[in-house]
Amino acid sequence: MTAPVNHTPARKGARLASQALEAVRYTSLIRNLVAKDLKVRYKNSALGFLWSLLNPLLMMVVFTFVFTQLLNQHIPDFPVFVLVALLPWNWCATAISGGTTMLVDNASLINKVYFPRVLLPVSGVLSTGVNYVLSLPALFLIMAAFGSPFTPWIVMIPVVVLTQALFLIALVLILAPLNVYFRDTMVLVEVGLTAWFFMTPVFYDVQSIVSPALAAWMYRLNPMAAIIEEYRIILYHGAVPDPLFMGRALMTSLVLLIVGYLVFTRLSRNLGEHL
Amino acid sequence: MSRMSRRDGDVMVEFRDVSRRFTLHHETRNSFQDWFIGLVHPRGKGEEFWAVKDVSFQIRRGEAFGFLGRNGAGKSTILKLVTRVLEPTSGQIHINGHTHAMLELGAGFHPELSGRDNVYLNGSIYGFSRRQMREKFDAIVQFAELERFIDTPVKHYSSGMFMRLGFAIAVHMDPEILVIDEVMAVGDTAFQRKGYQALLDLKAAGTTILFVSHNSDNMRDFCDRAVLLEHGRLIDSGPAGTVVDHYLRMLEEEPAGVGILMVRPVDEAGAPTDRVASGDDLIVDVLVRVPNGSWTGDMQLALDLNDPAGTQLYGSTVGLPDELPVANGNDPTIRRVRGVFRGLRLAGGAITIAATLLRSGQAEPVDRQETEVDVEAPWSIGERGILRLEHDWEWETSDQLPASSATMIENGTPEVEAQRPGK
Repeated sequence: MTAPVNHTPARKGARLASQALEAVRYTSLIRNLVAKDLKVRYKNSALGFLWSLLNPLLMMVVFTFVFTQLLNQHIPDFPVFVLVALLPWNWCATAISGGTTMLVDNASLINKVYFPRVLLPVSGVLSTGVNYVLSLPALFLIMAAFGSPFTPWIVMIPVVVLTQALFLIALVLILAPLNVYFRDTMVLVEVGLTAWFFMTPVFYDVQSIVSPALAAWMYRLNPMAAIIEEYRIILYHGAVPDPLFMGRALMTSLVLLIVGYLVFTRLSRNLGEHL
Repeated sequence: MSRMSRRDGDVMVEFRDVSRRFTLHHETRNSFQDWFIGLVHPRGKGEEFWAVKDVSFQIRRGEAFGFLGRNGAGKSTILKLVTRVLEPTSGQIHINGHTHAMLELGAGFHPELSGRDNVYLNGSIYGFSRRQMREKFDAIVQFAELERFIDTPVKHYSSGMFMRLGFAIAVHMDPEILVIDEVMAVGDTAFQRKGYQALLDLKAAGTTILFVSHNSDNMRDFCDRAVLLEHGRLIDSGPAGTVVDHYLRMLEEEPAGVGILMVRPVDEAGAPTDRVASGDDLIVDVLVRVPNGSWTGDMQLALDLNDPAGTQLYGSTVGLPDELPVANGNDPTIRRVRGVFRGLRLAGGAITIAATLLRSGQAEPVDRQETEVDVEAPWSIGERGILRLEHDWEWETSDQLPASSATMIENGTPEVEAQRPGK
């Protein structure tokens, strides 16, 4: 911390690298921001953390009723099928909508104190992620109740969670500064999330898409489709996810993360002026 | 950069030809709609404004360094550059050490969290680990005198408690460079004395302190050296006492700087008047006091017309030229700006004319004056409203209309009947 700080608009590469290193030094800030998010979220409701379990369980009931009673879809153990996808989707939706407004919501802090700005959107994705991981035991309970297979492949779940975290961080890094310049980004994001929800196999099976070519494109264009399919293969089918498939999803997320970081550093330079 | 610190390890802060530009968007584009409109209708890049221009200085270890100047001179921008909240547009800044800023006490506190959680959160914002904060925690709470309330959410704190906690955190961060912006007035007198003593202790322990205050006594007592800023430029630097004297002299020489001497309605010949007939032109003269050598290129003059109820009837703002021409036969320090509002179609009564002088980038107006003018309107029966518009009434005679329409008018809507004037 005693190293001389030089902020001249020169030597971009070195600057980016030192910024990334600096963010690592602030790990304790990330932890505190995540803790703050979780504490504040559960502080003022009587049921607290239970809500984040009840919400997807209630949604599961609704989806199961609609798709097995009203629409007559023939998917065995439909509650497990839909909950396996619904939980990570909720992480995605809450992380994106919360992360998009993260910089605007913390305007007073940004204008008063220096810290690596990138930590704000990152902490948003992580705190919603912690929430997701904490809801997994509830999923396992439901799985046990339906007699779903628990295979050793469950150890692969952390890799999928990591892939999803990287992907969400990448997206939020682009959306958060954009929302500073265009406040209606948030409106578009809300609409986009609804469309995205239907374009992601949460309550249906990719195999049931009429055209197989379309299904392939869904994986290519929508990392969330691939990620959710991985969860489903491991937890619902109790099968081995194709390592190539997993590797590709992880690589896509990594590349997107680099793009997101570059966009963020570019867009966040004059944040203070626009907040 | 390392070369510099080897050459002179005692330089803690160095500015070299630092400038910072802001773009003033009079209407900020904050939505995609505005952005698309901007593509079709470019509105220019917005006015540019240098908050800090070509500023260079060095601050050594253990020095207390003051920044003086009027509002908008660039002091706060410099502090934000030091703390890296802002980045310079050009020039180089070297900061040699861990910096802690007291730009606003309690910035970053979350109202829902307890004082305890906020201490840890705030510490981590400045890059301290949980373990490091645990060591400082008791001293912070004791200094803030908040032992009993430390587990209460800070939203229940009084503003004094809030500030005390913020101040206590700041002085316990062992900063090598401490940046203070007008925060000496914390809590009651006893706490102020304690706070001041804490700053003296830090200074004695070798902390470099950057200090902004309007209180020239504080500045003289506390600072070793100081700089004086005007319009973002450094105009003096030296021992704090000398620079404070210069600053006070500057304030005295120009009691109010550029200001409004008088705003008055005039008639067509230019003679002052206090009445204008509705429908005539309203001519308003604003006499602006411009002390010799003052530059008005960054100023705007606004004229606003309000009715007695306070409703804004109209307002217009104009940017002033770099140098206003001297009015004929007048004192050279008095310049005249004339606003002509053509065809003032107003209802009768007194309206207020407010002239406001603004400086770019400054929220507070430089000066403001008001006057009244009586609008004379000869009302005829059947007129009402806050405007008095030139108007005509027309109707077609029944033989020009098809039979059905004619009947409609015959059987007429009551409004049409009622509005026929001069019956």
